[in-house]
Amino acid sequence: MAMPMPASRYSPRLTQLIEALRQLPGVGPKSAQRMAFHLLERNRDGARRIAESLIGALDGIQRCATCRMYCEDGRCNYCTPARAVSGQLCVVEGPADLLAIETGAGFRGRYFVLLGRLSPLDGFGPEELGLSSLQQQLAEGWITEVIIATNPTIEGEATAYYLAEMSKAAGVKVSRIAHGVPMGGELEYVDGGTLTHALSGRRLV
Amino acid sequence: MHRVRVDFEPAYLLSQRPYRETSQLVEAFTLNHGRVGLVARGVRGPKARQRGVLRPFAPLLLSWISVGDLGTLTGAERSGMPLPLSGERIFFGWYLNELLLRLLQRHIPHEALYAVYENTLAQLPTHNENAEAALRIFEKRLLSELGYAPPLVSEFDATRRYRFDSESDAFVPAHDDDPRAFAAHDLTALRDENLNSREALRAARRLLRSALARQLNGRELETPKLLRAMRRGGFGEVGSNGIPPATRFDAQINELASPYAGSEISDESAS
Repeated sequence: MAMPMPASRYSPRLTQLIEALRQLPGVGPKSAQRMAFHLLERNRDGARRIAESLIGALDGIQRCATCRMYCEDGRCNYCTPARAVSGQLCVVEGPADLLAIETGAGFRGRYFVLLGRLSPLDGFGPEELGLSSLQQQLAEGWITEVIIATNPTIEGEATAYYLAEMSKAAGVKVSRIAHGVPMGGELEYVDGGTLTHALSGRRLV
Repeated sequence: MHRVRVDFEPAYLLSQRPYRETSQLVEAFTLNHGRVGLVARGVRGPKARQRGVLRPFAPLLLSWISVGDLGTLTGAERSGMPLPLSGERIFFGWYLNELLLRLLQRHIPHEALYAVYENTLAQLPTHNENAEAALRIFEKRLLSELGYAPPLVSEFDATRRYRFDSESDAFVPAHDDDPRAFAAHDLTALRDENLNSREALRAARRLLRSALARQLNGRELETPKLLRAMRRGGFGEVGSNGIPPATRFDAQINELASPYAGSEISDESAS
């Protein structure tokens, strides 16, 4: 005898809502159910806001063709002529890295977001990182310094090397952000790899 | 399926891929269990303890539990300093890893090869010729381990040239002007793992490249491809599909010259 199909515990619209909420990172069936009930019972206005802003975001947010960061209505906050004045271009792995440098370090030059890092074994090559676009920008002539801010991992290291070779080939000065002991940290608790970097990158005072 | 528990197994990571939100899928080359695939849970989170530990090119001690093909990592610690690989040498290291990922089956121990891998990694940060010779010797030992060692057993007449004959699986005397032929002293140099001249290195690369390509069934390796593109400085004229024209042209040339295109990792024009 064939097993009967398990009937959904929820009505069709509720099923759809719960399935949709599960698209969010870290949300399983249980949390999705809780979110759905919360929105329906206690925060119907908030739910409507979420729905509208999602639609708005999907329609209005694209990737900037120049820096590959998110931008709205085709105008990018990070690719303005004022930012090009410094001549500095900071290359980061992801959008979150860009925001960290923008808000945390107060950098006001331009950016290039790789959306990944070089990793040939996973099929991440220069094409996936949009390096041909970066190449074109290097050829435009306004860039005087490329600041490489890839992560201190093996892939980040190799990516930095690749970018450095590329910038040198274009005759542009290259630098890499320093790696070392975090501010307010204690040497005792810093791992060996970081300490090695900190020591080899020491500066005369 | 029975449950296997392994504690403090010497290992090197071959590759790491993000998995779910905070986990990673890692492939490791271990001393007693060969290549294994492991899920490392929660290692990408901001508070993860093993963040700096899990990385390639560093001697590790891994513990895991496995029920099926894929294990779950239960512990990882560093058992020595990571190798100081930087710049181009990272690509050399990736090349070794890519070879192991492509050519080794999971769960088959290769104790001898593990030692060879470790020694080869140690040679990579040294000067150019040395690093290159280490790569060639690794390729040769890897092929031997898989049972496909180049037949360098016979005594070669020092005045003659030899070519590989796939039917008899042996090196046979060749005409002096045969472009596929190898000088006897280059074959002896590879046999004795004594690659201390440019010519011997170049011959070894040509010979091992085609031997490896036979094992790879003509599938191209990614690391050498990337390194080649970079060395040719193909950055300038990137084509519409992002592949520098120089590389595409080069790939065609390789294809014409041999069916085993593109498994080189070193380049004599670089030095």
